[in-house]
Amino acid sequence: MAIGRSVPMRDAEARVRGTVAYLADLRLPGMLTAKVVRSPFPHARIRRLDPRPALRIPGVVAILTAEDFNRPGAPRLFYGVDRKDQPVVARDRVRYVGEPVAAIVAETAEAAEEAAQAIEVEYEELPAVFDPLAATKPEAPQVHEDCPGNVFLHTRLRHGDLEAGFAAADLIVEETYTTPPACHVALEPHGVIAQWADGRLTVWSATQAPFVVQETLAELFGLPREAVRVIVPPLGGGYGGKGYVRLEPLAAALAWKVGGRPVRLILERSEEFVTLTRHAACIRIRTGVRRDGTLTARQVEVYWGAGAYADITPRLLRGAGLVRVVGPYRIPAVHVDAYGVYTNLPPAGPFRGTMSFEGAWAYESHMDTIAHELGMDPLELRRRNLLRPGDRFCTGEVIEEAFFLECLEAAVRCVGWDQPYEKGEGGRRRGRGLAVMMKSTLPRSRSECRLVLWADGVLELHTGTVEMGQGAHTALAQIAAAETGIPLERVQVIGPDTDRVPYDATTSASRSTSMMGTAIREAALRLKEEMRRRAAPLLEADPEELILQGTGVMVRGRPEVWIAWEDVLRRHGLEALEAHGVFETQGGLDPETGQGIASPHWHQGAGACEVEVDIETGKVRILRYCAAAYAGRVINPALATLQNEGNVVFGLGQALMEQILFDQGQPVNANMSDYQIPSLRDLPEVLESVLLESPEGSIHGLGEMTLPPVAPAIANAIFDAVGVRIRDLPITPEKIWRALHGE
Amino acid sequence: MRPEVLHPATLSDALAALAAYGEEARPLAGGTALVLLLHHRLIAPRVLVCLEEVRELRGLQFAEEGIQIGAMVRLQELARSPQIRERLPALALACQEVGNIRIRNQATLGGNLAEADYASDPPIALMALEAILEVHGPNGPREIPIAEFFRGPYTTALEPGELITAVRIPLPPPGSRMTYLKFRTRSAEDRPCVGVAAVVAFEDGICRELRIAVGAACETPQRRPEVERLAVGRPLTEAVIQAIAQGYADQIETLNDLRGSAAYRKRMIEVHVRRALEEVRDGHRSFGADAGC
Amino acid sequence: MANRERFALHVNGQIHVVEAEPARRLLDVLRADLGLTSVREGCGIGVCGACTVLMDGRPVSSCLLLVSQVHGQPIVTVEGLGGNGALHPVQQAFVEHFAFQCAYCTPGFILSIVAWLEQTSGQDPESLEEYLSGNLCRCGSYRNILKAAWAAARNREPSRL
Repeated sequence: MAIGRSVPMRDAEARVRGTVAYLADLRLPGMLTAKVVRSPFPHARIRRLDPRPALRIPGVVAILTAEDFNRPGAPRLFYGVDRKDQPVVARDRVRYVGEPVAAIVAETAEAAEEAAQAIEVEYEELPAVFDPLAATKPEAPQVHEDCPGNVFLHTRLRHGDLEAGFAAADLIVEETYTTPPACHVALEPHGVIAQWADGRLTVWSATQAPFVVQETLAELFGLPREAVRVIVPPLGGGYGGKGYVRLEPLAAALAWKVGGRPVRLILERSEEFVTLTRHAACIRIRTGVRRDGTLTARQVEVYWGAGAYADITPRLLRGAGLVRVVGPYRIPAVHVDAYGVYTNLPPAGPFRGTMSFEGAWAYESHMDTIAHELGMDPLELRRRNLLRPGDRFCTGEVIEEAFFLECLEAAVRCVGWDQPYEKGEGGRRRGRGLAVMMKSTLPRSRSECRLVLWADGVLELHTGTVEMGQGAHTALAQIAAAETGIPLERVQVIGPDTDRVPYDATTSASRSTSMMGTAIREAALRLKEEMRRRAAPLLEADPEELILQGTGVMVRGRPEVWIAWEDVLRRHGLEALEAHGVFETQGGLDPETGQGIASPHWHQGAGACEVEVDIETGKVRILRYCAAAYAGRVINPALATLQNEGNVVFGLGQALMEQILFDQGQPVNANMSDYQIPSLRDLPEVLESVLLESPEGSIHGLGEMTLPPVAPAIANAIFDAVGVRIRDLPITPEKIWRALHGE
Repeated sequence: MRPEVLHPATLSDALAALAAYGEEARPLAGGTALVLLLHHRLIAPRVLVCLEEVRELRGLQFAEEGIQIGAMVRLQELARSPQIRERLPALALACQEVGNIRIRNQATLGGNLAEADYASDPPIALMALEAILEVHGPNGPREIPIAEFFRGPYTTALEPGELITAVRIPLPPPGSRMTYLKFRTRSAEDRPCVGVAAVVAFEDGICRELRIAVGAACETPQRRPEVERLAVGRPLTEAVIQAIAQGYADQIETLNDLRGSAAYRKRMIEVHVRRALEEVRDGHRSFGADAGC
Repeated sequence: MANRERFALHVNGQIHVVEAEPARRLLDVLRADLGLTSVREGCGIGVCGACTVLMDGRPVSSCLLLVSQVHGQPIVTVEGLGGNGALHPVQQAFVEHFAFQCAYCTPGFILSIVAWLEQTSGQDPESLEEYLSGNLCRCGSYRNILKAAWAAARNREPSRL
């Protein structure tokens, strides 16, 4: 059986030989280099922009400015997956430090660099606003002319009678939590190559969303979808940062201006920090609880700092931004108000654990505050309130697969939660903490695939799922092998290439193994059906009498009447047999009430840890961490465990050290020395991973589930150790020290 | 326009090249700082004078009165040298804490000092070891005691055309114990928030000489001799240690950066000066262990 | 006008003569001129280790090294490991222990482990950390990387112990 086996990644050998070709390794004949000229101001009017001095530099081929978009036949200037508020290059006004104001195409990187310095731009600075809460104040500078108050979207979730819920409570706890912008820091930077030829646009892009890129570019250039081809090489990490549309419009516009030669744009590390960030979030959470620990009401108000452009935030706010901040609890009354707020910072967007990270940071820290005020064990408080199968969530959905408690219990087992515990004395104190989270995947999306069985017995899987290190192509090939019965060694994965593979929404929200996996199963069923139909006349039997056995077809009860698949094709004179598979989910929430279907299934993860706090310095050491996720069914245990452990490592960075610091809108740590990510010396001394399966379970994604619990589990353990509650990420030694020493 | 690179084989050729090109030349030692300044166009010299082949800048010499380290000796060599580890463990520890192994394999002691990055470990240890920098320039050789070398962040007492050729470290007094503590606030790969080097000479449990250098929390590595003297002639009791730690915290003007605020750093100086002294007193520290966390 | 010079680089057991500006980074020469794309730019400041190469057996960051700073020392990239098409034992251990996800960092890690095996006893966890902690893996495959390193150390040929 191909499922449940730890087979190495399909191109494992190429990965260790270093021969996997990432975007930066592609070489096209006549390829030109692009460089972006960026705004040095967080908010300013562009008074004058003169590209002429740059054009005189030898080797410069073209310069793109907003002027170009006025020409007849020019692409549209503005794009956006929801609000079309973002210009390809700024016209008149810049809204964040790092916003593209022009771009250069040159024969060499050196010429492009020199030209970027030579372009003359005069700005008139405008007042700017950086904090999402401050941006909603009446006196705040306005980021967009058409959005007074800077709130571009307010969505609501209304469930139950909130007043009655709070009235029924013995205790009401209210807190505010914040998370800062952070950077994905994929080691491979964003990169794209674009080329126009014969009225078609071809884009090679390190993107997680080839079909969204295709759609956006087709719309920008007024082309039919088919006129845009998007090819995706393996990604050197994505984590959401390469989701949706990033550099592609700019690169495509440059290629359009150049006409013919391919144009390559690869970001410098510093540019990564102004390309896409995690949301700056401010979460006010208020909960009513009875003395016995029963939750009676919860009110959440979230300000999602989206930066200067809305990007994916509106779409998120209609689902994720509401339901990912509540928590996996049975609460009779829940109100959520989510605000999408413009600020003069770089745009925010998908980020591994999008909005669940921020949500869990607030609600899981908050749960421990409640437990503390009730004098109740934090595990017990959760036990009493966690969603169980058949419970109704605040969206009105009935949760069928609910293993929150099982995840939590598996995690706490590793830290011996029920054992007596010694916190230590003197300068170093120990503590334990736990957290659990609930995450939606995309409510409404479609995945398609094609299976092509060739006469030589090779099965091709054509899929738009992007391989970014998560092992998706390997897991999907395992599913294809299992569903068709064809040996895994004979399965090849083709794509993503929009010319060659059918539609897929995106590789995000931990949806691929589940959604694309289901599409593959569909396609396999059809392929087998088709095989039976074709084999029937050859075996002189009814299709209904035929069963598939290995890679052959036989008549039920008569194993001697058997034909190999290859022979079926050969005798019909077929080169190949094809089958298409589609899996689509329907859902969505009412934007006024938040009622409806938020997710086809729910991601579930928990974490528990033990920490040691140096009370003289505030420094925290993670002694032990256990991450437990509900996997439903594990396709590839080794790769699944890697994802699960990767969540913890990623989460440790988010919890303890990561934050893009802005000084009046200027990023001050836009490099990997000043912005730090975890090294192997930052790992917990013990790191355990648990993947829960259930016999009837459906396949669940694993790319994010155990990330959101990391920060609150650590914060809760710190509280346990030294009685200090940190509410603003990251949890730095200095914050703990200040809280401990009353400064 | 990228610079040319010259490869003098002798010190006099290197100095002549630096003199000939003046402001347009930059000496190139390990390059770990210079290459990134160059690449990010933060400097644009016409000529780089590569010191790799300059014989006079190489080698470690161990003598009775002290240790002489050629300016081009790599930090990793100092971190790993058995003799440095035995005789000047504070220096080996400080060098071992720099960047990562690739940086240490390339970066040189002379380059490290000339860069004068305030958030660097070796200068702090050298400060406590009272190193003397041997410098050659257009006006001949001279010596600069390390206490007079750093003038501010990224600013030194080197005159135009001058090169550090060697670092001389007098052997610490007999009966000395020493350590270097690096305190990090973010990842394990971070630069120091505070670095503390301590050298203490004991005679029958009585402190004969005590030197503490603190860095990374302030613009240049600092010593406070008047505070150090509090220990001389006494055993290192808790009270003495606390007085010294407090003295350093009070007297050093700290700075704010990504690794901590000025106020926090004052307290971290106190904590780590105390920890360094306790460690030196107890002599229990195993080589290479990360002390800060 | 470019001040290009000829450099004879000893890379992966062969002498390559390249023409380059003397202040060009070794990283760019290896990638663009020699086509050694396993050497990758990550941070550009020597922090992440994606551009690690071995110079005279020692790991260095090729993003912080000018081509003219190479004075005849042999350079090794992962393209130069193994022989006759076979995987080097460290590469093999990476496959067996699932020691990568996106694999952008993998060549750098492999070279650091090769250096650790060749320059130390290959038995000391502290020295393994010393060699590896400066290589960053954002996917967080560290635990498996450590397992692969220890497996490679155990399987070392006795003659090299």
